[in-house]
Amino acid sequence: MSWNWTMADAQALLPLMVVSAAAVVVLLVLACCRRAGVAGILPAGETPATRIGAVLTVIALAAALALLPVAGAAAPRSVTFLVIVDGYGLFFAGLLLSACIAVALLGHSYFRQETSAGGEFYVLLLLAAAGAMTLVFSRHFASFFLGLEILSVSLYALAAYNRASLAGLEAGVKYLVLAASSASFLLLGMAFVYAKTGTMDLGRLAQLLNAAPQPALVTVGLLLIMVGVGFKLALVPFHLWTADVYQGAPAAVTAFIATVSKGAMFALLMRYLVGVNFTLQYPLLAVLTAVAVGSMFVGNLLALRQENVKRLLAYSSIAQLGYLLVTLLAAGPGGRELAIRAAGGFLAAYFIATLGAFGVVSLLSSPQREAESFDDYRGLAWRHPVLAGVLAAMLLSLAGIPLTVGFIGKFYVLAAGVNANLAALVAAMVINSGIGLYYYLRLAIALFTPSRAEPPPRVAIHPAGAAVLAVLTVLLVAVGVYPQPLLRLLAAVVAL
Amino acid sequence: MPLIATMPLWPLVAYFGVVVVMVAGILALSWVLGQRRRDRQTGQPYESGMVSTGSARGPLSAEFYLIAMFFVIFDLEAVFLFAYAIAYDRLGWAGYVEMLIFVGVLAAALGYLWKVGALDWGTSRYGKGRLPTSAAGGGDSTRGKS
Amino acid sequence: MILIWFILIPAAAGLLAWPVGRKSPLAARWLCLAAMVATLALGGWLWAATPDHDAAQGHWLAQFRAPWIPQWGAQINLRLDGLSLLLVLLTGLLGVMAVLCSWSEIHDRVGLFHLNLMWMLAGLMGVFLALDLFLFYFFFELMLVPLYFLIAIWGHEHRRYAAVKFFIFTQVSGLFMLAGILALYFIHGRQHGGDYTFDYVRLLGTSMSPTSAWLIMGTFFLAFAVKLPAVPVHTWLPDAHTEAPTAGSVILAGVLLKVGAYGLLRFLVPLFPAAARDFAPAAQVLGVAGILYGAIMAFAQRDLKRLVAYSSISHMGFVLLGVFSWNSLAMAGAMVVILAHGVSTGALFILAGQVQERTGTRDLDRLGGLWETAPRMGGVAMLFALASLGLPGLGNFIGEFLVLAGTFQASPVLTVVAAGGMVASAIYALWLVQRIFHGPNRESWRLGDLNAREGLMYAALVAAIVWIGLYPRAFLDTFKPAGQWLREMSGTGVGGSTGVPPVEVRSLLGTKPSVNTGETPVLPGNSEGRP
Repeated sequence: MSWNWTMADAQALLPLMVVSAAAVVVLLVLACCRRAGVAGILPAGETPATRIGAVLTVIALAAALALLPVAGAAAPRSVTFLVIVDGYGLFFAGLLLSACIAVALLGHSYFRQETSAGGEFYVLLLLAAAGAMTLVFSRHFASFFLGLEILSVSLYALAAYNRASLAGLEAGVKYLVLAASSASFLLLGMAFVYAKTGTMDLGRLAQLLNAAPQPALVTVGLLLIMVGVGFKLALVPFHLWTADVYQGAPAAVTAFIATVSKGAMFALLMRYLVGVNFTLQYPLLAVLTAVAVGSMFVGNLLALRQENVKRLLAYSSIAQLGYLLVTLLAAGPGGRELAIRAAGGFLAAYFIATLGAFGVVSLLSSPQREAESFDDYRGLAWRHPVLAGVLAAMLLSLAGIPLTVGFIGKFYVLAAGVNANLAALVAAMVINSGIGLYYYLRLAIALFTPSRAEPPPRVAIHPAGAAVLAVLTVLLVAVGVYPQPLLRLLAAVVAL
Repeated sequence: MPLIATMPLWPLVAYFGVVVVMVAGILALSWVLGQRRRDRQTGQPYESGMVSTGSARGPLSAEFYLIAMFFVIFDLEAVFLFAYAIAYDRLGWAGYVEMLIFVGVLAAALGYLWKVGALDWGTSRYGKGRLPTSAAGGGDSTRGKS
Repeated sequence: MILIWFILIPAAAGLLAWPVGRKSPLAARWLCLAAMVATLALGGWLWAATPDHDAAQGHWLAQFRAPWIPQWGAQINLRLDGLSLLLVLLTGLLGVMAVLCSWSEIHDRVGLFHLNLMWMLAGLMGVFLALDLFLFYFFFELMLVPLYFLIAIWGHEHRRYAAVKFFIFTQVSGLFMLAGILALYFIHGRQHGGDYTFDYVRLLGTSMSPTSAWLIMGTFFLAFAVKLPAVPVHTWLPDAHTEAPTAGSVILAGVLLKVGAYGLLRFLVPLFPAAARDFAPAAQVLGVAGILYGAIMAFAQRDLKRLVAYSSISHMGFVLLGVFSWNSLAMAGAMVVILAHGVSTGALFILAGQVQERTGTRDLDRLGGLWETAPRMGGVAMLFALASLGLPGLGNFIGEFLVLAGTFQASPVLTVVAAGGMVASAIYALWLVQRIFHGPNRESWRLGDLNAREGLMYAALVAAIVWIGLYPRAFLDTFKPAGQWLREMSGTGVGGSTGVPPVEVRSLLGTKPSVNTGETPVLPGNSEGRP
């Protein structure tokens, strides 16, 4: 296939290129700094490598974020047959990049005392960000798989970043084995679909799906692809890894897995399933509905008695993704616009609250000791009143209480569901919101009750992490009260 | 339509069947024909006729594994260069630039590995455990301090 | 513009009280007291300033509009009519009481406590004023969070269980209502060519198939029945009332339950008149069941606060009965029950709080003979117990009598059964007083009697309940145009289909007869004063 570069192509791909280049640059800088700072000379605090890595990473991510409007000037544009840069992709890329900046800063606070951790965290983070962006821009099986693997491979290492702890190793191995096997399902599914339809273009595929009922092989292929996707999104029944990986990974990485990795995958799924008339694709409809309802119930029920905060948030994220699937099912021919907006709104709300919640966990943790049991949080309101307030606000947002952005997200999803007459799904969502309340409130109230055991020592709060939490909290309330700017942005996205 | 759609499926199924039958057959035959003992030493590890001592799960240097991995990575990437060589005239300058980027990234990775000491065989100049990811971890369970 | 202050004053006072309370708890208390007194005064001024309601003007007394989320057709749309005004006054009065009764009870994190209390009151004000369904839901949910924290942090022994149960009941039912609101929103929008709006006045008269009307009404009824509470979904209430701190109980019983009644009056029947008409008999049966069940459960209780909580269920049954009779008499009765029950139950919970504060127990078996040392407290208790059992001359009597009189037109049988509930209420109310204040003083309690602050609180509440009892016209006049408008909006009414000519409230109470009887529709659909 012959294809020539134009400036517009370069312009559209600029953010992606910045992030990719940054990964290589940070890698080289780390190598040099490591050589310069030989053992014994360095202070016990941050090594130059981590500090330089963090600064460079944040600058690169912020630059990519700032370049999105530049890319937007060239959008919508297909760059080769692999990648499409359009408003939809740019919105989600912006969301992902913002989340990556937050994760980078949280990671920086987390590794503050670590002398030997090096700055590889930032290289992996940048690579994962590049993979995630490829996913949201992809329009072809090849770029889909490529983005997914770049993201996954970085995450294997990130999940096991705390090599010293058994839980960290377990997280890494579990994620590696399960992600690799789910990726093989995905590939098999792609092969089936290609064998029958002869196309690897995701857009063409969506058209074909609407044209007529498809042969069984295509349906089987699509369902196999769903296995790969469902794994990444941690949907029931592919959720088994979630709690262990969330628990074992450093809190900042957990925040990344919960937000960026899932958000990128969902953006891709939504882009191509939106507008598909599911009534023609009955098996797909049945499976997605079952998966959505199952995720809500299983996630919420498993979270109910959870005594480990990271596991609790893991199960909660399973349920949240279940809610998010409702928008996908509501995205039939009539409800396309509303569903895309709802998905964007809900994901934005979910990102803010999840990053905030894991941010608090991350600030209280260190590589030596993850603050994850309920006992670490009992009486937090006395030790760190502001952190306790922030965590309570994040939990209320996840529960979808007004005045927080979570309410806007939940309202949007409900609206999309009602609009598409998905009465059963809406009812399931309402019931699950009730179940969810129980454990969100349980944790929220634990913050305000005196601790039974010896309270953990007060930790020093790193300014970078504190800044992230401050921004997230302001966003949480501001968008919750006055969602106008977010809605305007979403309207622009739908216009593509 | 792609090629595969026009081909009959049955040879594939037959082939699959033959494989399954053959593997099952070999396993079954060796199970039926092989002699089985239930002695005291049957379950013990064989170490040149000596009685084994200690656990089998001792520390093992992972550097062999490292070298193998590097070989696979860098060797496989050469495959892309061959593919490019075949189509370079059709890809033009854009392809050339892309290939340069590709090789550049490889070189950067190699430089990084070199600097962190991953390529040092056996005796490390910088002491063990310099590499933060699982690569140089090898046998040392204690976290290295700089 | 004045309406927004009802919400902003308590909210701002709450925000200020938090930091202030860390330095000086007393300053936080005074700040909140001043804010609530100001809010109440504002309401009183609005009430006094409104001209005679018989004038042919629109029945909206004040309104405030500001854009909020135009994409969704949601705006900040606050309106006040007689119904809202009376509830705002009730909220203001009980808000003052809630601040006062926490004065010596709460010593722990005073600033945070007042933040929650004030935000709950602000949310309640918002609920009674919002006439945009989205905004209404926003406040409807918002007020729950502070109350949850009030119960869960400052409550009694089983506070966490009670708080979570309360929150889940109200939240889930509320979410069902949100789904219902959305369904209504989409139905209306599609009918009117993309005019998607949450504006209550514009949503009135949306036509829909009977099935959808029933389903949507069902979600509304569920939400309001849980709040009210009606019988099968009442189980959160005794726990929440018992475990809440006094201020929480007062607001919960005095105002929060009225949100359910308000919702039925304001939203459920006018929005779905046909479905509500069909549903009315079932709802009335639920109301009567609540009256009897609450009364019977009340005299099986050992716990003082639980007893009062069950009596609330009983009294709110009258409201449910009255609303679904939907004639001028029964509706006026429901309104008076709302006010009188708010005042009398609020007073009883304050009393329970004081007894617990002084003795450390709410167990009726351990109390007794308190009259010796606290005669003033006993006198007040006696008065409100009598109010609760429906003694003529006190507020509750007027309300319950009007409800029964109104219901009689629709369903004599139910009326007779419901009247039986009043007999039961006499038993538990008198027994309550007898067990606490009379009899042997088994544990030799020696209590301090009411101090000046407490005396002042009761003085205000006694004045209110006597006022309602002796001169209900002041309140009925305020409510009348609003009630009439609601009946017009819902067509011919729900319960008044028995052919009995409606009896006008005024003539029954011996005041001047009115030209406009409630059942005569005037100028359908344009009296809402659209700007």
